[in-house]
Amino acid sequence: MTFDRVDVVLEIVKIALIVGLLLNVVPIMVWVERRGSALIQDRLGPNRVGPFGLIQSMADALKFILKEDVIPLQAHKWLYTIAPMFGLIPAMTTIAVVPWGRPFFIPTEIVYGPRVSGVCIIGAAILAILAIVLGGATAKYHRKPNYSKLNFTIGAIVAVSLFLGALALIGIMLGIKTAGAVHLPGGGRLFEPIIADVNVGILLIFALASLGVYGIVTAGWASSNKFSLFGGIRASAQMISYELSLALAAVSALMVAGSLRLTDIVTRQTGYFVLADTVKIPAWNCFSPAMWLSMIVFVVSAFAETNRLPFDFAEAEAELVAGYHTEYSSMKFAMFFMSEYIAMTTMSALVVTLFFGGWDVPWYNEPATVTGFLLSAIAFLAKVSFLLFVFVWVRWTIPRLKYDILMKIGWKVFLPLAVANIVLVAWFIAARWI
Amino acid sequence: MIPTSWFLILSAILFTIGVCGFLTRKNGITMFMCVELMVNAVNLTFLAYARQFHQLHGLIFVFFVMAIAAAEAAVGLAIFISLFHHRETIDVDEANLMRW
Amino acid sequence: MIEFAVFFFFAAIAVIFALVVILHRNTVVGALSLVASFFALAVMYVLLDAPFLAALQVIVYAGAIMVLFLFVIMLLNLQHVSEPATRPIQQFLGYAGSAFFGIALVYYLVKYTVLQLPPGPFLSDARAIGVALFEAYIFPFEMVSILLLAAIVGALLLSARRGVIPSRKDGEEPPARATRGSLATLGMTEEGPLP
Repeated sequence: MTFDRVDVVLEIVKIALIVGLLLNVVPIMVWVERRGSALIQDRLGPNRVGPFGLIQSMADALKFILKEDVIPLQAHKWLYTIAPMFGLIPAMTTIAVVPWGRPFFIPTEIVYGPRVSGVCIIGAAILAILAIVLGGATAKYHRKPNYSKLNFTIGAIVAVSLFLGALALIGIMLGIKTAGAVHLPGGGRLFEPIIADVNVGILLIFALASLGVYGIVTAGWASSNKFSLFGGIRASAQMISYELSLALAAVSALMVAGSLRLTDIVTRQTGYFVLADTVKIPAWNCFSPAMWLSMIVFVVSAFAETNRLPFDFAEAEAELVAGYHTEYSSMKFAMFFMSEYIAMTTMSALVVTLFFGGWDVPWYNEPATVTGFLLSAIAFLAKVSFLLFVFVWVRWTIPRLKYDILMKIGWKVFLPLAVANIVLVAWFIAARWI
Repeated sequence: MIPTSWFLILSAILFTIGVCGFLTRKNGITMFMCVELMVNAVNLTFLAYARQFHQLHGLIFVFFVMAIAAAEAAVGLAIFISLFHHRETIDVDEANLMRW
Repeated sequence: MIEFAVFFFFAAIAVIFALVVILHRNTVVGALSLVASFFALAVMYVLLDAPFLAALQVIVYAGAIMVLFLFVIMLLNLQHVSEPATRPIQQFLGYAGSAFFGIALVYYLVKYTVLQLPPGPFLSDARAIGVALFEAYIFPFEMVSILLLAAIVGALLLSARRGVIPSRKDGEEPPARATRGSLATLGMTEEGPLP
């Protein structure tokens, strides 16, 4: 294992990027959930705390930080405190083996000159126009009969900062006098946008996902509250039942790729299926008929694994007070909240990697350059965002399944389907149809 | 590379801790957990030797040991549940109906 | 260099949490410490060039068997059932005997296992294990599947309370619920929560 300082710095940059992305997904998803559910239920949703309620998540975070942290007298203090961490750690570490962009060669040097100053001028012009438009829009908002002073203030602050950004860009442009080049220390290396490209990547995901059960069951027990215990036991029984169909449904994607490594699975999906010698569709696993059954089983099991509706009987608001996180307040509750959304993001990333082609931009062979990498990363983010929206959409459309029905279909429907799917895909591979 | 003897010593320490817990505790579930600890120490020994001699047989054996330990845990805990329902205690000293 | 640091750190974690298992009074804390110990052992397996088995260790042992343990402990409400202290003679003999056994084992291991590692990597990926399982070890593989089936049936039968499928004639009352019914499994009696 030989690595030098540049490798360490690149690794730290990757980790910071992914962890930052995951932690920032939570407030965005809170907003999407509340506005999306309002859209589906034909009501408005939060719209007071910022234009379109965008600052609502920050207000929620502030509330969580400032609330009093109550520990019930009967609770086992140590386990009560570390239970939310048990929930958060698997959710945040499973993303380490998911590839989120195309591997590319770091350029040896960055050239600046007239091109950079051109970019600065265009950027400054765009920012200035945005500032003027935003200032005008919020000013009009100020005159409305039900204006909110907070919205006007926020709009004014953003407009002023955009204008200052435009001025800064013009300053940079004036400062670049001659053309030149900056030599990058890590030039020429292959940058692989995956934190840990492990040989047994997908097994690691299943291993860490099965550790997520402990957060729930410990939280339920340590609260010394019968509703919490009941909710915790139910949730963990559901999670371990659906882990089986999750793993077996993923096996079919692995069989097609012939490897447990997630990068191999994505690389296999970068080709094209050619229909009737004319129509080229990307070779994603969702477009091959043998994988449709496994995709359905995997997505349903992903819903059950993250305890989202229609499988969230364990935290059912109407039935069990709040399930296993009844006794939790302020930051610990926020950590449970966060771990649920981060687990959702990780599951979406996994579904995208296994079935929707990962970072592959459809119909475009991305070159191994910075532009190709950026395009592939944006494609990955777009696919994951679409799946997160599907999570929210399904939550507010389908009613909750009763617990015994949930367990029954987990064991009696999805597990046999997943096993039958393995046999089916194996037959297809043997008959060389895949 | 880490010498094999280090892994064997770690395995010996874990096995000893398992033996100690098994002999000194009366709680049935704790004794069962000490048995699992001993089984895992033996797994570590198998893998250390498998790497030492570059043979896959150690790995396959560990694979089967894990599967069998899972089955044993399920049946053992079922036995404990029925013992608890009859005796209202998990103290294994109380399960002495068949003693002389 | 990094390997040695990782080895010592996770070996320390495994040993410390194993000690917590045998020394702590609370069973749930013991079960969770055993999970931590198994996780540290999985890291050891990675150091031994067996990443497949490391993942299996976490999935099977830490992720399934210990969850089963925790379920049983929590549903039977075992942390409230106080375990009487072991008699001093048993404690003394247990500690002394196991210490003697451990010291002798470590001594002979240190003395007699100075082995040279053969060169080259150890190919233990999923493909090699799969080939071995389905060619040389196919018979034990099938036997283990039958064993697991027997374990499932056995566990169901042993933990059922009054027969598995009580046959009921028409017009007969359904069998009364067990006296220690669902209330007790939640830690509640008719008077209130158990202490």
